Amino acid sequence: MTGELAKRWLETAPPAAPVVALAAGVLMLSLERRGRFDASALGAAAVLVPLAAAGALAPAAGSTGLLLVLGLVMALLARDRDNLLQSECTIKLLWVLGAALALSWAGVMLLSLATGTPVVIEQWAVLNLGLDPDFLWRTALPISLLLGVVLLGGAPFHFWAADLLQGAPAWLAPLAVVALQVSGAEWLAARLSGIESFHAGARAVADLLAIAATLAFAVGGLTLLVQRRPERRVGTLASLNGGLLLARLAFAREGLGGAGVIAGIVPRWSSHLVLALSGAAILARFLPVADARPDTPPVLFRRHAVAGIAGLYALFSLAGVPGTPGAGVWLDTAHAATRSGRPWVMLALTFAWIASLSVAMRQLREAVGIAPRVAPPPEPVPWQARVALGACAAGLVAQLKLWK
Amino acid sequence: MRSPVEWLSRGSGPRRTGIALCTAGVALLWAPSLLAAALGLELVAAAFWWWGRAAEDAPQQVTRWSWMRRPATALWLAFAIHAAFPMLAQAHHSVFSARGALLELARGAGTLDLFRTIAAAAVVWAGLELLAALPLTRAFSDLPGPFLGVRIWLPALLPAAGFAVLWRHDEWTQVAAVRQTAIVLLMITAVLAALRAYARRAWTASLRWLVVTDCALAALLVAGGAVTPTATLLLWLAACGAHVFLLAGELRGSAPRRGAQITRLWRAASGVALASLAWPTAIANGPGHLGRLSGVVWPGIAFTSGLAEWITVGRMVHAEERRKVMRADPALTLTHVAALLVLVLGPFALLVAWWGGFEPHWRESLAGLLPAVVGAWAGIAARQSRPRGVWGRLEGVGVASRGLARRVFALVVYIERRVLAALDGLTGWIAGAMHDLHTGDAQEYLMFLVGLAVLAVVLPLLR
Repeated sequence: MTGELAKRWLETAPPAAPVVALAAGVLMLSLERRGRFDASALGAAAVLVPLAAAGALAPAAGSTGLLLVLGLVMALLARDRDNLLQSECTIKLLWVLGAALALSWAGVMLLSLATGTPVVIEQWAVLNLGLDPDFLWRTALPISLLLGVVLLGGAPFHFWAADLLQGAPAWLAPLAVVALQVSGAEWLAARLSGIESFHAGARAVADLLAIAATLAFAVGGLTLLVQRRPERRVGTLASLNGGLLLARLAFAREGLGGAGVIAGIVPRWSSHLVLALSGAAILARFLPVADARPDTPPVLFRRHAVAGIAGLYALFSLAGVPGTPGAGVWLDTAHAATRSGRPWVMLALTFAWIASLSVAMRQLREAVGIAPRVAPPPEPVPWQARVALGACAAGLVAQLKLWK
Repeated sequence: MRSPVEWLSRGSGPRRTGIALCTAGVALLWAPSLLAAALGLELVAAAFWWWGRAAEDAPQQVTRWSWMRRPATALWLAFAIHAAFPMLAQAHHSVFSARGALLELARGAGTLDLFRTIAAAAVVWAGLELLAALPLTRAFSDLPGPFLGVRIWLPALLPAAGFAVLWRHDEWTQVAAVRQTAIVLLMITAVLAALRAYARRAWTASLRWLVVTDCALAALLVAGGAVTPTATLLLWLAACGAHVFLLAGELRGSAPRRGAQITRLWRAASGVALASLAWPTAIANGPGHLGRLSGVVWPGIAFTSGLAEWITVGRMVHAEERRKVMRADPALTLTHVAALLVLVLGPFALLVAWWGGFEPHWRESLAGLLPAVVGAWAGIAARQSRPRGVWGRLEGVGVASRGLARRVFALVVYIERRVLAALDGLTGWIAGAMHDLHTGDAQEYLMFLVGLAVLAVVLPLLR
């Protein structure tokens, strides 16, 4: 089953995108080490590989893969104890993901107790008999899905993606976010496998995920509009992309998750996200915090405008600006939402897209700034960052061509 | 070596880049696709921004013209809805109300109608904001543009862009609530613009506001739907084109006013063009077409037509020649050709409208034409001071009425700004209160998660 899923997954989205993202991550890691690649850096780079692989193939890895991803991210974040921002980020993730994992497991156990079997498909068959009171599974089912929703980063759990993008180093954050989000999708898919045989449950789950997606779009869009720090904007855009996947999972055969559905939706979504997020996260490191008064452009746009534009392309793709592969991801979700007959989800999605577009344009203007009157600063942006930005943009352009 | 951004930011770079962006943007606005229109407005906004960022007072200019992204965003919204609902472009529905769409939505149906209403409102928002018809940017025509070379007439481009959006994507006229709201807002804009044009003493400032008046009247004609789109476009082109040409001419040594004959020709041409536009607009928004709403809208249009005609005909005075040695000009200049074209275009557009089925009743025609004719007559009479003595005695009234017009405009803008500031304050207060709810501590997230889980457990039990 796992092998077949991995095969289908690789057919849908060849692993070029995670490889490019991994290369960008390694380049940024080498930049942090100032060109010196010692044993510690090599270890960190080695950890990035499973993270990139998790971004590409998490469903094939199952629950063990999820735990591995969680552990690796925590370990990498906790490594640098002197970095306050990073430590705070680790604690927040640990609190929230740990608690979500515990609660979701409690939900899973509750379902097992109610049905007398730990096998998910059998649980639906038992529940379909109607022997147990409704409130038992109606309580257990949402709790068991909690980890998936939290990991996807949809609001009100959108903070962790922004925290990670701001707190974690640029070589780790994008891969970690995508790996965690794909793990969340995998959790949902695993928990909802075969639910189509239990109609009441399928309907309840579709409604639940639709509400979660609506909330993710509405709150995420509002949050995005008030944010000023580029890294946090990128993080919130990532969480909105998580909302997109949530909506797709909710509407794919009306809440029927499972391996078949996830293999049809997630690979394309994740291969875009990993590239766009890598590019946008690197770009965000070179942009200033937004100010009410326009200022001169940062050094990236003064000395290496082409690399800056490449980074902006990645950010635009994340925001779903027309002409980028990300627009296709947003549009696919919009079509799924229109077919679902739930106008409120569509309204929230429209709002989120407009907010994303506005913020992307605002970011462009802030990046280019006002015309400077003095010569640009002498220090250039390191070549590693520029190459990483270019690689991500090239990958996105290739994706756009492939998807057309 | 300078980067591309640096190169485009210095020397003649901003001028050329801005002009290229603006030209491309305006051209795209006339394309039938909403994507092209959204892209076009984005490019026009980008041109203003690019000019602004290169100006001496760049921070001020960039902030001043940043609102121009709002209309572009509104068009992106309309485009997104059309992309998500491809059937919107295919379906041709009769006029329906937004309230009905909401009621249907509450019953679980009517999604398509709701989104059609939103798309129509977005298109109207974009058009109205560019036409200075929304309180957010009412007074932009009082400000010079961000680009030094053509600062004076640059804001005249924006109402024209607004008209282009409303004319090209006229599906909004099919949504009753959106159409009626737009009609009322356009009427108010036309009145305020005419008052402002009257209150301003400088001819260039008056012309900028007359362009807004022309575009608002033309948009009212689009909303009324009494004449064919081609005729509407030609009528707008004649009236607005005349004022834009005069405005551009002021930058070229007041060429349209150099000489008694050319001044008379331009006076006649712009007067006829404005009357040609005002006449069908008044009919389209009269009781026969608009019902009870015309009781509010028609007087506004009549007042605007009369006042704008008065200003157009009466304010254009022959510019005195100050040179001692005159340059030999050709008998027929570009200014002459343009004036003749404007003179012919208005009546020709009316002919096209008649050919397309515009055959109003003579009473409606008379009522529609009367304000413009009275305004033009008063303008001519005041300039010639006939009957003798009467206009001299009314001079004091003129000064007082200009002051009154200025105060009315200022009062409306003041009230609108206060209301907006109050709304902004309320939003800030709510957002601040919500922001204060969370501290950002790690423990807080844990508590939130646990609270949510408890809620998930308790809610089904309560059911």
